[in-house]
Amino acid sequence: MRFQTFALLSVTALLTFAGCANKKNKQYAGIDGDYVSGTPLGERTEGANFMGSNVQRGQYAPVQFGYDSSSVAPDQESKVAAVTDALKGSGTTVIVAGFTDERGTQEYNRSLGEKRALAVREALIAKGMKANNVQTVSFGSEMPVDSASNDSAWAKNRRAEFGVVK
Amino acid sequence: MIRLHRLLPLLAVCLLGASLQAADAPTITVRKSDALNVAFTGIGGSDGALASKVVQNDLTLAGWFALVQPGMASFTVSGTFAGGVLQGKVVKGSEVVLSKNYSGSPRMAAHQFVDDIVETLTGHKGIATSEIAFVCNRSGRKEIYLADYDGSNGRQLTHDNGLSVSPALSPNGHRLAYTGYQAGYADIYVIDLATGARVRLVKFPGTNSGARFSPDGNLLACTISKDGNPELYVVSLSGGVRRLTHTRAAESSPTWSPNAAEIIYSCDETGVPQLYKISSTGGSGRLVSTGFGYCTEPSWSPDGQRLAFNVRSGGGFSVAVMDLNGGGARIVAQGENPVWGADSRHVVYSTGSTISLLDVPTGKSIPVISGLGKVTEPTWTR
Repeated sequence: MRFQTFALLSVTALLTFAGCANKKNKQYAGIDGDYVSGTPLGERTEGANFMGSNVQRGQYAPVQFGYDSSSVAPDQESKVAAVTDALKGSGTTVIVAGFTDERGTQEYNRSLGEKRALAVREALIAKGMKANNVQTVSFGSEMPVDSASNDSAWAKNRRAEFGVVK
Repeated sequence: MIRLHRLLPLLAVCLLGASLQAADAPTITVRKSDALNVAFTGIGGSDGALASKVVQNDLTLAGWFALVQPGMASFTVSGTFAGGVLQGKVVKGSEVVLSKNYSGSPRMAAHQFVDDIVETLTGHKGIATSEIAFVCNRSGRKEIYLADYDGSNGRQLTHDNGLSVSPALSPNGHRLAYTGYQAGYADIYVIDLATGARVRLVKFPGTNSGARFSPDGNLLACTISKDGNPELYVVSLSGGVRRLTHTRAAESSPTWSPNAAEIIYSCDETGVPQLYKISSTGGSGRLVSTGFGYCTEPSWSPDGQRLAFNVRSGGGFSVAVMDLNGGGARIVAQGENPVWGADSRHVVYSTGSTISLLDVPTGKSIPVISGLGKVTEPTWTR
C-alpha cells in the first residue's frame, strides 16, 4: 500500500515535471530550451572608455525605455536608424551604454541596464550594423540625466546612450 | 555530489553533537527569545580601558546576552590587558568555562575574546572579528571602503577615480572582489587584502558584475553578458568559466548555499524581478516563492536556514527575511542590500546614509557606519 502510494506520487511528480517542460511554467526560469538569446559580443576595443575622451557621446539621441522594460519600442526605432544610417558599413565601433532610473536596487539595475544596452545592440544589428562593431556597458542607475525623483526624471533616465569610438 | 557525500557524515556528527550538548547542559541552550544572563566585570590591567569598552560593546551587539549584575548572572566575563596580551576568562560559579590569552591590539584581542565567548556559550560563530566592505562616494566618486563590523577602523580601499561598486569579501576575509569601471567597461577585480595585489579577473565583452564568493572562497558566481544577454556564471579564481542560466531575461545577484550546491538569484523573466534557485552546476532556475512582487539581491544565511533580500514597498525598499523551510517572508527593516553575518542572526544593510547592523530575532537595528556621505552595498566576512 505504501509502495503504491509512493509510485503514484512519483508518476504524478513526473507528469507535473513533464507538464512544466512542455508548457511555459512560471515555476521555472528558462525551461523552454538551452538557447543563446542574443548575438554574442565581439572582442572589446580595449582602451575605449564610454566616459573618456576617446569616445564621442551625445551625437545621437538616446533610446528611452518603459518602466522595468528592456524592449526597444516602435517609437524609438528611428533613433536606432539614425545611428545605422550614419555608421553602418563604416567600420566604426559604437558603444551602447545602458542606464536605469533610481527605482531599483543597485545590482539589479546594472543587469537591467545591460539588458537595455543589448536590446539596442540587437536593433542596430537588425538594421545592418556589424555585430563585432557594437559593444555594450551598463552603468545601472549611475549618472542620471535628471536627478529629480519624479516620473518625468525617471522616464529620461531609463535610456541607452550611443558612444562612437574615435 | 562527492562534496555532498563527504559533508553528510560531518553534518550528522554536528547534529548529534548539538543534541547531546543540549541534553547535558541545558543552561547553554539558547532559544531565539531568551538571552543568557552574563555579567561583565571589566578588563583590568595597564591597557584595559579600551579593551574593556570593546568587549562591553561586542557583548551587547552579539545579541545572545543580557548584561546583568554579577549576582544575577549565569556567566561572568572578566580579563586583564597588559604587555600586548589580553587574558580573558569566563566563569560559571566556580567553574572556568573559558580561559585564553589573546595577543595584538586591544581592539582586535577584545573582538577575538568575544567571538570565543559566543562560540563557547552558544555554539554559534561570532561576528566581532568580521570586517565590513561597502561603497562610499565621500571622495566624489564611488570607491570601496573597509571597516570593522562595529564601524571603527574605517578606511578607503580603492582609489580608482572611476566607479567601483558591488564589493564581496571572501568568507575568510583574505580577498575582496568588486565591479570596477576604470578600464571603460564593467569588470570584476579581485584584491588580495594582505598584499594589496589586484587582478582584473573577469573582463569579457559586455558587463561583468556582482561577484559573490563560494563558501570555500575559490569560485565566484557573477553576471556576465558576453553571449548577448546577462546570465549567471561561475568563474574559478584559478581560471575556468561555467554558464549556469539560459534565459531571455536579466539575471543578477547570486548567493551561495552553505554547501555550495545551489545558488539563489534574481531574474525578471516574469516582468518583475523574482528569486530563483538553481544548481551551482547549471540547469533550470526554480521560483522561490516569497509573496512579494519585487525581490532582488538575496543573501543565504551561513546556516542555510534563511534568506534575506530586498523587496520594494511603497516608494522605497525594505529588507525581508524568509525561512527556507517554510513560512512566509516578513519585512524586518527599511533599507537595502541585507547580507547575513557569520552568526546567521545579524544582517548588515544600507539605509543610504548609514550601514546598519540588524539583530533579526529582536528587531534591534544599530547604525554602525554613518557620516561618510552615501554608503551602499555593504557586505561582511563570515
